[in-house]
Amino acid sequence: MSAASLQRAVCTACKGASRLAAGLLAAIMLLAAIAAPNQAFAHAALVTADPADGAVLGQSPAHFSLTFSEPASPLVLTLVRPDGTAVPLTSFRLNGQTVEIDNSQMLGSGTHVLSWRVISADGHPVGGSVLFSIGAPSAAPAVSEAVDLDLRSAIWVAKVFLYAGLFLGVGGAFAIAWLAQGGRTGRRFVIAAILCGLAAAPLSLGLQGLDALGAPLTRLAQPGVWQAGLATSFGWTALIAVVALGLGLLSLVGPRGGAKLFALAGLTGVGAALAASGHASAAEPQWLTRPMVFLHGAGIAFWAGALAPLGLAIRRKPAEAAAFLRRFSHTILPVVAVLAATGIVLAIIQVQAPAALLGTAYGRLLLVKLALLFFLFTLAATNRWKLTRPAEAGETEVQRRLVRSIGIEMLIVLAIFGVAAGWRFTPPPRALAIAAAQPASIHIHTPKAMADLSITPGHVGPVAASMIIMTGDFGPLDASQVTLVLSKPDSGIEPIKRAAIKPGDGTWRVDDLVIPVPGRWTVRLDILVSDFEIVKIEAPIDIRP
Amino acid sequence: MNRYLLSAGALVLGTGSAFAHVTFETQEAAVGSTYKAVLRVPHGCDGKATTAVRVQIPEGVISVKPMPKPGWTLQVKKGKYEKSYQLHGQAVTSGVKEVDWSGGSLPDEFYEEFIFRATLAADLPAGQTLYFPVVQECDGVAERWIEIPASGQDEDSLESPAPGIKLVPRE
Repeated sequence: MSAASLQRAVCTACKGASRLAAGLLAAIMLLAAIAAPNQAFAHAALVTADPADGAVLGQSPAHFSLTFSEPASPLVLTLVRPDGTAVPLTSFRLNGQTVEIDNSQMLGSGTHVLSWRVISADGHPVGGSVLFSIGAPSAAPAVSEAVDLDLRSAIWVAKVFLYAGLFLGVGGAFAIAWLAQGGRTGRRFVIAAILCGLAAAPLSLGLQGLDALGAPLTRLAQPGVWQAGLATSFGWTALIAVVALGLGLLSLVGPRGGAKLFALAGLTGVGAALAASGHASAAEPQWLTRPMVFLHGAGIAFWAGALAPLGLAIRRKPAEAAAFLRRFSHTILPVVAVLAATGIVLAIIQVQAPAALLGTAYGRLLLVKLALLFFLFTLAATNRWKLTRPAEAGETEVQRRLVRSIGIEMLIVLAIFGVAAGWRFTPPPRALAIAAAQPASIHIHTPKAMADLSITPGHVGPVAASMIIMTGDFGPLDASQVTLVLSKPDSGIEPIKRAAIKPGDGTWRVDDLVIPVPGRWTVRLDILVSDFEIVKIEAPIDIRP
Repeated sequence: MNRYLLSAGALVLGTGSAFAHVTFETQEAAVGSTYKAVLRVPHGCDGKATTAVRVQIPEGVISVKPMPKPGWTLQVKKGKYEKSYQLHGQAVTSGVKEVDWSGGSLPDEFYEEFIFRATLAADLPAGQTLYFPVVQECDGVAERWIEIPASGQDEDSLESPAPGIKLVPRE
């Protein structure tokens, strides 16, 4: 595309700026609706449950336990009885990655649902349920796991407003203090953005609390909801955001001498607020991701924040704006370089495999964001290399085009905020991969022998099995042979039988195992205790698709 | 240890193909009587010739005397019983715990019997089955006839059941 045609394209866009904006917003809303998954995907994945999902027990258990792939704290634990009545389970203890729950009541026969909702390190709540039966299975009681679309929309809108407050507000305050240097144009707009953010930050916290508890919007006024929100890592984001917004406001309305200092502290706060929670900040390695998110956030604030004051200054006071424009165009290149570098690193960590770009909602949102960025960079590059110099020289026609172009940049930036806010509902491929790689584990306990068996990963395909064999009273059992037998009588597949080997670390292993179909398998361990004594123990294990 | 590894291999490749089990010719005996055990070995391990047959003697089976077999080395392992038994008015506290015939070669297509004589203690529980776990070794592999059904379990559901005799009351 030649420079001339690029300009034509830009100018065509100028004419239809408002139509473009409406179109963009509609597209974002549509994408958010498509991308929003229908159920909460696991970030902290449930590894084992006792009773196991689908288990049939002889009598009412005295306690339950849930073990997750990473430490998680319970938000809501409910037992739904066969008649559909729900009983909250309030007595529980955290033991590493396991949540141990007391059950004080005698459960009648029939199918029960243990419904759980926990929060993991990234601050996003996840939930699920375990079905088990006493005596014999009955029809499972209905448990609503429906997505609360009203709440989701509210969370999304609050998030966009919070971004606007942090990036356009605090970032704008920084631009006014450091780049405009004395020029006060755009101050009202920036103050308005900060006030938006100041309203959105606490509201986001309450909405986060609602999401954490799985409660509807109508319960927003309850104090417990706010406590729940504050207890998540998003609590830190909201608190730091309020401080950053306050600093930004102070730099605009406070003593002039401190304006630069307050604005710088505010910009730092923007980075810190974003680094405190969210998918990207929760990713490993933490020493890399948190600083990256910090730099990315501060960089966005620098760039996006400067757009409105700059555009307004050029339009209203072109003479004064020349110095502003010069400072901005001198500093923006390294900032964009940092933005791009941190963005690329974070995207690689989160997406991992290129296939996940199309295959997951997270990846699709990233593609939309990249497309918008392409637009933005094209405009910014045109502004920087074609329009900046003549505008600085005072060419009024070019200045007008620059102002319009900056206006469109603002709209694209807003659209990008909308896409980024949509990530709140899509687990990154990284987390999905972790969840998929979780082993399927069972504990088999018989009076003669017991075993801890893990099949890794716990889904169909090539897997490896690892076993720890003990006597019935947790003593060491030095077996001379262990044979793993996997069968699935309902599938018509002959039992898969493999001798386990002893790698020397106290476990038994079977490698090169392929599980062909998902579902409930029966796993049996033939343990040769001595030359003439064999113990066979078996239990069901669920293999994911 | 080597043997274990080899027999581990046997379990992988082998079992499941037992056309006939290792069994006793006489499958019923009275407690307090003398029993002539004739162990019938109908085939090798997966087509391989049998080179050793080892029988574990369960508690309550005393005064064991195996019959030598030409071409095979006969050995017994002795040990203490869990309790003392009366035999012809004398207390017996130890005796044969394992009988091994080894060093022979019984091709898969031939049939053979391994014989020992023993006294079934008078206080063995009549009405129950007494199992004699047997390990059949071939060249590099083994068949382990050592599975004992749990209470209530059907013996027919076992892949490699240990041969057993039904104990009947003393006449």
